[in-house]
Amino acid sequence: MIKIRLLLLTLLLAPLTAVFADVADAVKSPKGYGSKGYVWGKLLPEQVTVLKLTGDPVRGKEAFRGCRGCHKADAAGVTDGTYPRLTGQHARVVIKQVTEVRAGIRVNPKMEPFSADHAVSPQEIADIAVFLATAETTRENGKGDGDAVAKGKKLYEQGRCRNCHGTYGEGDADGPYPVIAAQHYGYLKREMEYIKKGIRGNSHPDMVRAIRNYSHEDIDAMADYLSRLPDYRQSLAERKGK
Amino acid sequence: MCMKPDQSRPCWQCGLALLVSGWLLSPLVAHAQAVPLAERLQLCAGCHNPDGNSSIPENPNLSGLDADYIVRQLQDFKSGSRKSPVMSGIIPMIDDKEFPALAEFFSKQKPKPGAKADAKLAAQGKEIYDEGIVGSAVPACSGCHNEDGSGTEKYPRIAGQHSSYVIQQLINFKSGERANDVKAVMRAVAKRMNEKEIRAVAEYVVTLKGAQE
Ligand code: HEC
Ligand code: HEC
Ligand code: HEC
Ligand code: HEC
Repeated sequence: MIKIRLLLLTLLLAPLTAVFADVADAVKSPKGYGSKGYVWGKLLPEQVTVLKLTGDPVRGKEAFRGCRGCHKADAAGVTDGTYPRLTGQHARVVIKQVTEVRAGIRVNPKMEPFSADHAVSPQEIADIAVFLATAETTRENGKGDGDAVAKGKKLYEQGRCRNCHGTYGEGDADGPYPVIAAQHYGYLKREMEYIKKGIRGNSHPDMVRAIRNYSHEDIDAMADYLSRLPDYRQSLAERKGK
Repeated sequence: MCMKPDQSRPCWQCGLALLVSGWLLSPLVAHAQAVPLAERLQLCAGCHNPDGNSSIPENPNLSGLDADYIVRQLQDFKSGSRKSPVMSGIIPMIDDKEFPALAEFFSKQKPKPGAKADAKLAAQGKEIYDEGIVGSAVPACSGCHNEDGSGTEKYPRIAGQHSSYVIQQLINFKSGERANDVKAVMRAVAKRMNEKEIRAVAEYVVTLKGAQE
């Protein structure tokens, strides 16, 4: 009964959903990757400002309220991957993503009104970033079906993804390169498709080159593998213990 | 407003225009004059009830709202940045100096449980309130207003609020008629909702109890 009602609700919402259709309809950012003058990692004026500020995780938790409606109260996102997991993400990665959405370099119309400068101040971005970097979650992330883990691992290694994202998917706080271990499967897959197509506006050109020649099945296998890696903090702690 | 970008004071033309219009309109506009709190509260009570739990569903409950939020709404009614056929008519009579005491009074009143809701509709509304609508990127209301609707300093309490008032406000945010939300976030939320969803979520808001002491 509930299922039928949900189905009806979904049908009613269908025309609206079209506005936010995913990979197939996503558009290139006019200011991002592939546009004239795009330089990966060139600091925007706002990034210079935010990076100078000292973030406070207690204030960050409060400022994150405006984000919880999508990324959830524990910042672990939605399991189907519509909204990514943000817990444990490097502060500099969070700052880069939010400010580049604000600058129109990474296109994210769903989030834009809630992360725009009228909604969040540079200080709040700095605060949220440290809050997220230290946030823990006990909730399981969305995982692939587990069929292609071995293949995914091989492709991840062959693609030299480790150079930037590390052996454990731990990324690099200074790169800044994102943590991709234990991220939701659906989100990983979508982002890699965006990167492949050149429509993730703030892509690293070396990564686009690395992913471009992978098939959809390859991407699926890597998403399966990465989604099944443990939280990188756990992996690093175990390595230290050995 | 009435200022040149390089000046901190209103320019003289504007000043003159204000003076002239003020003189022309003075017999029509009731002048704000501060009166003692108890006396002023009688006016508010006519519509919002003495304890801020109004009986008329179009008039919002004021009980338990954050005091700063109330002050800001009163200021916005006065400046015209929030419009209401009713409150906009009343507010010119009230001196800005009275706002803090009025706000303090209503914020301290105990909220009463909302009216009885249509359980079926409220259940649909709960889904939207707690989970948002993923397909159309409506964020969950609970993210900002709390699961129990108790709100915070930045996000107003909405627990137990009359559904017809909630519906009207969401429609006003959606159309931009109400555009005084500081971070423009409520407009973004409401723009993504259709009337059916608005009705459902409003029906659930009535059932929320807010923080229980
Ligand atoms: C309306 C829903 C919504 C709200 C509210 C929202 N986001 Fe997002 N956010 C998204 C979506 C959707 C994505 C993924 C975009 C994509 O698929 O490319 C995202 C992505 C992100 C990312 C990038 C993650 C990554 O791994 O690259 C960060 C960081 C982020 N959001 C932070 C925030 C912050 C901080 C706030 C609050 C100020 C916020 N979001 C509010 C929907 C939202
Ligand atoms: C040169 C460094 C580099 C290499 C090599 C690289 N990446 Fe990335 N990757 C990044 C950066 C940086 C980002 C964040 C977006 C940006 O700024 O480019 C990113 C983002 C991602 C994301 C999205 C993460 C998120 O949270 O949104 C995924 C998934 C990903 N990379 C997978 C891969 C895979 C798989 C490979 C190998 C085939 C790879 N990357 C190779 C630097 C790299
Ligand atoms: C004639 C009826 C009437 C009187 C008298 C009245 N109000 Fe209102 N009030 C309303 C209505 C109707 C609204 C809803 C306005 C709208 O639609 O936006 C309202 C809204 C408000 C709001 C906004 C509440 C919110 O949740 O955003 C505040 C605050 C308020 N009134 C305070 C007062 C105070 C204080 C007084 C006494 C000085 C007062 N009102 C007198 C009818 C009245
Ligand atoms: C991103 C944070 C955020 C989310 C999510 C959010 N709101 Fe709000 N809401 C606000 C803010 C901020 C205000 C105060 C507006 C102002 O400053 O006047 C507000 C005001 C309101 C009001 C007017 C209250 C009054 O007393 O007049 C209602 C009703 C409301 N929200 C309902 C909802 C509903 C229903 C949802 C979910 C569909 C929702 N909100 C989601 C931030 C949010």
